[in-house]
Amino acid sequence: MNKKNAKNASLILALVLSLGAASLLPNAVGEYWVRLTNAALISSAAVLGLNFVLGYAGQISMMHASVAGMGAYAVAIGTVKFGLNPWLGCLIGMATAGAFSYVTGILLLRLKGHYFALATLGINVSFIIVVSNLVEITGGSNGLTGIPALTILGFAFDSERRFYYLALVAVVLLAVFASYVRHSQLGRSMIAVRDDELAASVSGLNVTAVKVTALTLGGVYAGVAGVMFALHARFVAPEDFSTSTSIVYLAMLVVGGEATILGSILGAFVITFLPEWLRWLGSAYLVIFGLLVLLMLFLAPRGLAGLFGFAWSKWKAQLSSKEAGKWRFSK
Amino acid sequence: MQDLVQLLVSGVALGSVYALAALGFVTIYSATGIVNFAAGQFVMFGAMFGVTTVLQLGLPMPMAILLAVAMMGVFGFLFYLGVHLPLRTQSPVTVVIATVMIGLSMQNGANLIWGSVPFRLPSPFGDGTLTVFDSAISTHALASIGITAVLVAALYVLMQHSSLGRVMRAVAQDFPTARLMGLPVGLLLACSWAIAAVLAGFAGLLIAPMWFADAHMGDAIALKAFAATIIGGFGSVPGAIAGGLFVGLAEILGASYISSAYKDLLCFGAMVVFLVARPQGIFGEPISERG
Repeated sequence: MNKKNAKNASLILALVLSLGAASLLPNAVGEYWVRLTNAALISSAAVLGLNFVLGYAGQISMMHASVAGMGAYAVAIGTVKFGLNPWLGCLIGMATAGAFSYVTGILLLRLKGHYFALATLGINVSFIIVVSNLVEITGGSNGLTGIPALTILGFAFDSERRFYYLALVAVVLLAVFASYVRHSQLGRSMIAVRDDELAASVSGLNVTAVKVTALTLGGVYAGVAGVMFALHARFVAPEDFSTSTSIVYLAMLVVGGEATILGSILGAFVITFLPEWLRWLGSAYLVIFGLLVLLMLFLAPRGLAGLFGFAWSKWKAQLSSKEAGKWRFSK
Repeated sequence: MQDLVQLLVSGVALGSVYALAALGFVTIYSATGIVNFAAGQFVMFGAMFGVTTVLQLGLPMPMAILLAVAMMGVFGFLFYLGVHLPLRTQSPVTVVIATVMIGLSMQNGANLIWGSVPFRLPSPFGDGTLTVFDSAISTHALASIGITAVLVAALYVLMQHSSLGRVMRAVAQDFPTARLMGLPVGLLLACSWAIAAVLAGFAGLLIAPMWFADAHMGDAIALKAFAATIIGGFGSVPGAIAGGLFVGLAEILGASYISSAYKDLLCFGAMVVFLVARPQGIFGEPISERG
């Protein structure tokens, strides 16, 4: 017990230290890197949501970008067309994304595997068609501009550096809540459904309800990402929520490590920054990107988080060979 | 009336191309169980190989088409070696994500090789028109329908009435037993990939003269082929054909009678309705669970 307390204390200390470092970050790097970090934080929120759907409940959703788009467009239309307070717009955006996911889940979640993947792919494409053509409401392919910034007591989150703190707080809260859900009965139910649907249903779980809940929860997270996107760019346009963005979210989760919270965030950051690191590849970048994700899928199916877990276990095994056998990758 | 005839012919022509793309997809699904999300990029490769042989090499048309189709066959074989073999033991989730990523790489690879400027691939049948019931019908549309019919018939004869087709069906039905019986299962699966690639290649060569050929043409065709497969019935050959024709007709008739901006919603709407109400599609076997 003492050992566990010490472990928890060191974990909290590590978290506080890294958050402290994170809060100083914008002062240490240039504006462009803060902008990229903000983009990575926004993607983190979306990927944390996809982690409920794919990582825990095992459903391949290819419409995640359109769910984020629902949230983004809700806040954009609410604030620009109806002059709503942006905070109220945020709530409406999250609720819209969640409701959209819930309805889709009710309709489609009896389907499995690639059927669900194909159906959600169709939904994302349809979303883009509708949004691009409802010009009076959504601005069509020109998008909507003039979204106001969020403010607290007169402090406006209107610059990259200011927005960074908002995004950081949001992602930390989302990650903490995701961790709470993971270790709740709901989290265990999702994993049970993913691992063996038949066994889960025989054990008395309402499989469809669990899947719908996972999709709705993931939808609310995507809604947060969409709302953050709209309030960060202060502009929404259809192409940011197309199927290729959905595919990028999938790639982020796969690269970071399916079914891990840290992996979701890690994947979002790595894939956001990867184009910068691979800039020397020029236009070959996207070819290499696909192959890299593929390689990751074959060689490290647990993603970067799995690789770190593996390295960590090796290191611990050297410290005490006794404990090595007990270590298990936590899913 | 003459409008309707014209629209019906172009709808069926476009639908036959979708049907070919869907057939390539279904061939792989029934032979290997792999859901190939890169199927649209196969069609794009077919069109781009045509661009290379017809436009860039300037070969005589029949030879150029044959060479492009042969290149697709080789490509299918290579795809078996490079993608199917490592994917064979993976979970369905991994297979879906892997083929999506391969599709992304194929698309961007094509963008590197052929550039982003669209090509105008000429039709092997010229730009002429025929007059049927007072309406002008393009020869390319009629030839597309004819070629699809011939290919479907050839596929039927190959699969149902040849010894190669018999052993290929055996492998698809029961892989371990087929292997125990001493069939060269690897080679037969490679044949399935080559056949699928050739069908997709024909789809690409036939659709390129209707549209433009560029690296990004694959996505739109893939979505239509997926919709066709689901509407017709997953894994069913007659279903792929019926679904393809439905999607092609819905696109052409929807564009002219309903709305050209929303024409694609019609086919995705139909796809979702089928998924919810009749997941086995028109021709699929009734199975309570799919996945």
